[in-house]
Amino acid sequence: MHEFSHRVFVMGVVRTRDREAARELVQDVLMAVIGALRKGQLQDADKLPAFIHGTARNLINNQLRSAGQTPPVEPLPEDLAEENLVERLEDAERGRLVHQALDRLGQEDRRILLMTLVEGCKPGEIAARLGLTSEVVRTRKLRALKKVADLIEKRLSRT
Amino acid sequence: MPHNYQAMTCNEVQEREILEGYLLDRLAEPEREEFEKHYFECASCFSQLQTRLAVQTELQRQPVMPARARGAGFRLVWVWTPAFAAVAVVLAAGIWWYSAREQHASQQVSLSPPKTGPEVSLPSPPPPPPSLEELARLEPPPYSEVVLRGGEDEGQEAFRTAMLNYPKKNYAVAIPGLRAAVKASPQNPRFNFYLGACYLLTGQTDPAIASFRKTISLGNPAYSESGHFYLAKAYLEKKEVSAAEEELQKTVQFHGSREKEAEEIRRQLGK
Repeated sequence: MHEFSHRVFVMGVVRTRDREAARELVQDVLMAVIGALRKGQLQDADKLPAFIHGTARNLINNQLRSAGQTPPVEPLPEDLAEENLVERLEDAERGRLVHQALDRLGQEDRRILLMTLVEGCKPGEIAARLGLTSEVVRTRKLRALKKVADLIEKRLSRT
Repeated sequence: MPHNYQAMTCNEVQEREILEGYLLDRLAEPEREEFEKHYFECASCFSQLQTRLAVQTELQRQPVMPARARGAGFRLVWVWTPAFAAVAVVLAAGIWWYSAREQHASQQVSLSPPKTGPEVSLPSPPPPPPSLEELARLEPPPYSEVVLRGGEDEGQEAFRTAMLNYPKKNYAVAIPGLRAAVKASPQNPRFNFYLGACYLLTGQTDPAIASFRKTISLGNPAYSESGHFYLAKAYLEKKEVSAAEEELQKTVQFHGSREKEAEEIRRQLGK
């Protein structure tokens, strides 16, 4: 379940652009899925990922449709509340590590990541602006992301 | 472990830059849904997505250099550039005057009869620049065997068998097997790259050039930098200096492991 909660969180962040809403979504989805499992609504265990994804999508859509209406806040079961805290800490730690990793990158590599992931430029546009080829931009983007991922993995695996 | 979801594959995710499209909310709803279904089952793509999301979040948090500051920087450059230029002119004039004076003095010394007295030891002349042959010399590209889970296809099997000769420096023996691997999987950059390397290491520069060009054209980031670097070496071997310089320039642009070596060769070529 922990493995899926990360996926639901990412899905929530991307679809709602709101980390707090995404955290709440994770809890809602987990509670809904656990409820459904207890009722025996899922017979085939292989379909669990698709089931969780479907539940998350429906809850996000409901949430977006009823934006502005505040649903009643239900207290979380103890184990889910603990998991929520762990996720918050992991999220904060990941942010700190990414910050460190970005500081270690060269100026141009950071620029490539910024133009790709924030400004939404395609490799061809970046290449034209920085006087590089698209191929170089793609390679340097992947290499910079790998450096960031390696640092996160190295540090998180130590803890 | 990459997972081949029925509707969307890891290759598609990479080739169509789905990760960026998803994070930037550029995918159409069915495509977004397909990708979500994919990463709910694929650890590799999800891990890449997580990294990109974390980087995106961090970059959005960090302050962007304000336009005013950029303008100020520009103004600073504008003010200081003529000043630096003036200093450079004065320095250059000074150096010219000094060297002209030294040259004049040395001419006078050589014209005057030899004097007895303590000998002045002259600095030894700089070593001659390396020849093209020396610059073309190469170390075999490093190779480590990748163990694939699951069955090997025809190309992979031919490649793995051929490359057993590579650590033993039996490059010529490896070539037929590598050619068979490329024939079976023409789009595999790894096969093309090592075929090019073996050609180059056995002095067959033209087929080496063709193999490295093919490697580069496949656009796989893992082999692009090395492809350009060894292509430059092949051109050096053929004494095609301007083509080699062009490839070295491309190598440098990757800022990767070959950057320093490529820079150094370019410097030597410039002498």
